Amino acid sequence: MGTQRYLLGKIAQVLFTLFFILTFNFFLFRIMPGDPVTLLVRSAGAELTPEQQDELRADLGLDKPIFPDQYVDYMRDTLTGNFGVSTIIDPGRPVSEIFWERMGRSFILLFTSTVASIAIGTLMGIYGGWRRGGRVDNGSMVGSMILYSMPEYVLGILLLLLFANVFQIFPTAGYIDPVADYTGLAYVADYLNHMALPFLTLTLAYLGEYYLLMRSSLLDVMGEEFITLARAKGVREKYVLRRHAVRNALLPTVTLIALSFAFVLGGAITVELVFTYPGVGLLSYDALVNRDFPVLQGTFLFFSVAVLLANLIADLTYGYLDPRVRTA
Amino acid sequence: MRRARRIAALAVAFGVVAGVALTNTAAFAQSATPSADEKVTFVSGTTNDMRTVNPFKAIETPEYEVLSLNYDMLINFAKDDLGPAPGLATEWSQSEDGLTWTFTIRDDAFWQDGEQVNADDIAFTFSRIVEFQLGSGLDYLPYSTPESFTAPDDRTFVWTTEVPTIAPTIPPWIYIVPEHLWADRDKDAMKKWNFEPGTNPSIGSGPFELTEWTKGDSWTMTANPDYWGGAPEIDEYVVRRFNNEEAMVTALKSGEIDYLSAIGPDLFDSLEGQAGITQWVGPATGFVQMSMNSCDPENTASDFCADTGSTGHPALLDPVVRTAIAHAIDKDTLVERILGGYGEAGETIVPPFASQWHYSPTEDEAVTFDLAAANALLDDAGYADTDGDGVREMPGGGEPLDFRFILRSEDEQAPDMGRFISGWLTEIGIATSSEVLTDGKLVNAWLDNDYDLYIWGWGPDPDPDFILSTFTSNQCGSWSDTCYSNPEYDQLYTDQKTASDTADRQAIINEMQQIIYRDVPEIVLFYDKSLEAYRSDEWTGLEDNISPTPEGFLWGQYTAYTALTVQPIGAGGTTSGGSGGGVSPVVWLGILGAIVIVIAVVLLSRRGRSDEDAA
Repeated sequence: MGTQRYLLGKIAQVLFTLFFILTFNFFLFRIMPGDPVTLLVRSAGAELTPEQQDELRADLGLDKPIFPDQYVDYMRDTLTGNFGVSTIIDPGRPVSEIFWERMGRSFILLFTSTVASIAIGTLMGIYGGWRRGGRVDNGSMVGSMILYSMPEYVLGILLLLLFANVFQIFPTAGYIDPVADYTGLAYVADYLNHMALPFLTLTLAYLGEYYLLMRSSLLDVMGEEFITLARAKGVREKYVLRRHAVRNALLPTVTLIALSFAFVLGGAITVELVFTYPGVGLLSYDALVNRDFPVLQGTFLFFSVAVLLANLIADLTYGYLDPRVRTA
Repeated sequence: MRRARRIAALAVAFGVVAGVALTNTAAFAQSATPSADEKVTFVSGTTNDMRTVNPFKAIETPEYEVLSLNYDMLINFAKDDLGPAPGLATEWSQSEDGLTWTFTIRDDAFWQDGEQVNADDIAFTFSRIVEFQLGSGLDYLPYSTPESFTAPDDRTFVWTTEVPTIAPTIPPWIYIVPEHLWADRDKDAMKKWNFEPGTNPSIGSGPFELTEWTKGDSWTMTANPDYWGGAPEIDEYVVRRFNNEEAMVTALKSGEIDYLSAIGPDLFDSLEGQAGITQWVGPATGFVQMSMNSCDPENTASDFCADTGSTGHPALLDPVVRTAIAHAIDKDTLVERILGGYGEAGETIVPPFASQWHYSPTEDEAVTFDLAAANALLDDAGYADTDGDGVREMPGGGEPLDFRFILRSEDEQAPDMGRFISGWLTEIGIATSSEVLTDGKLVNAWLDNDYDLYIWGWGPDPDPDFILSTFTSNQCGSWSDTCYSNPEYDQLYTDQKTASDTADRQAIINEMQQIIYRDVPEIVLFYDKSLEAYRSDEWTGLEDNISPTPEGFLWGQYTAYTALTVQPIGAGGTTSGGSGGGVSPVVWLGILGAIVIVIAVVLLSRRGRSDEDAA
């Protein structure tokens, strides 16, 4: 019964937040100065008369009052799964279609780099915590602090200069080579070549965080009495670490994984900008610069929902891993 | 356990192999290039994304570049002076009464789907623009109705205007579309049309056809071997989009792209001495200006200015103050410090690349950098600093000369320009309060006449008609930078549009430039030059066909000349695809294999452990 209430409470909370986000998104983008038409007006070559500007505004649905007309339209459409069509960056194409095309590219990048940073960071953290003060630990401690504190775009530009400019191993931009018509294995390799630097940047950027957390969490646990007990029972050191210490030390990491989801999406935007990788990050940036409201709302809604869900999952998982949370 | 360890050893060995292979990457990448039929592709980079290739809706530079390669115009821009040159029309003449223009249409032009280009197509395109009031094309079709354009036969196109006009030879910057594909589209469909491979092909009659477009990433144009001007030497032209200039420059250095343009002076200088790369300083086609609020609601021919009113400083309505400000700006320093020397000090509102039309002030007319002269002008006009705070007041000791100075947040150079100019103005007793605004806010301030000074720029057409129009009274509230209003100038603008010949028009346009230079509603600070660079170790055929001359573009020309002549050096025909390095498929296979094996080892070792941990 306690579990059920906990679950329902969480879900209600999520729905309320969602409603707030929807409303907030809508007004946030509309109080930004400059509507799309006035921005276009001064671009080179856009010689539009005031009448043409009004017509364009009507085409984009910007001639209606923001509240309630535009707001009601927006809420109704969003709740029925209609995210509208792009107005500026890909005029006339449904937002969901544009979004999923870009999401595919981002997902591969984000998923692989997140898994890699969690796996490598956590393993390094376990090793560092276990062999605390050793040469490896000291080295990776310094490295992690640097990576952790460095903004993604700085790291990205450094890697870009190193691997694309100095060594010329990897390409500087894009997600495939638009010139060569690769197929099969060559296509996959080309894709991986283009993904290599964004992947490396994201992996390195988040690795430090997992390392530091896992290491300190493990150090905490290693000082607990049950560890001493396990050792006293004569359990081999390797199994003390694996079965007793690591298991408990992993709890904070689980929370971090869920929370870091938001940061990963944020990181995706910067990294995609540095490497001009045409995923959702670059899409939301383009939409913002061009004031493409439907696309902007669509991507922000997705980001918000993704973070909400990640938090919900974290809550639930945490409850599963640590029963004390459920009853609290 | 033992088995697991052996696999681990195998994984390490795999890793070593992969590492060794990685160091031989270049060789691998070359040998692994798959396509045997060498396709010659010229690749350029841009930091400006493309949004639409609708010939009636294009706005951004790359969009115009695609259209100029994909479509023809009635009359082209001449290679040397950008004046009228044969396009789809081979010759043209004006009737005695000046109201009718007759064009002969070439018989060797074909649409990219195989149909012939006829006079009907031109009449159709022009009528639709006027009938549906489509976009920027309208400005080029003045004094016309949808019935003004007719095609008595396939090879003759006739344009009749309500008053005599030179407009048909400006030339009209309109891309001709095929009637057989566009006739069924209503106004809405014409405006909404966009390229979609397969379903909405981009069919024009130009030397290239847009065939692929990955939104936000790249687009590909395929050569049209049947082009009336001759087949291009290359097979494909690919544009890759970069989000930042640094990455684009890196891509040129590594050979991923062959050409780039529109980079800042610092990055441009970083290409100096790079093997295989040629830097190219192109023409000064645009300008950056400081506009001064000239809306005087009490005395204006503009209804907009009279109705809206103005918060501008009253001193700016006095030409003496504006001239003094012009004297206080050291344009040469701006060119040197802001543009890194890649530009020319500003003069009149028609940039010098339009060599036929640009007017350069005489020595007597020129307003030079002279702080003493500026101070003397202000002293004589009665703008004295009566309270000794270093800032002059209005004659008779009124409001101090403290101007609101708006700078664009979207312009990286704005803060530096602002500091220079504010510094100079301080020296002539004028204070400024700088504000940095987004373009959106600046547009609002500008349309409300709610500013004193601001800095912005223009990229005018080769023909001066449009930029001249922006200073007419009825452009106030629309395109006018400053709400300047001068009935004499307005009349001259109409006169130049209906002038009987080029010499007459030239004289009128010179006078218009003189008026604006003398009245200074805005100060042209500098003309910035286009900066380009390309891989001269791989490509030729660009430098001998620049347009205009003597300073011209290598690529992205008003009418594409180098697009037909650019070609790889050497008969072999190198493709540039994939030459930017990259790890070969074999190496990737190795790396992925190693990862899979490591994961397998970890899983296996976990299973092996289960019997031992009962404790």
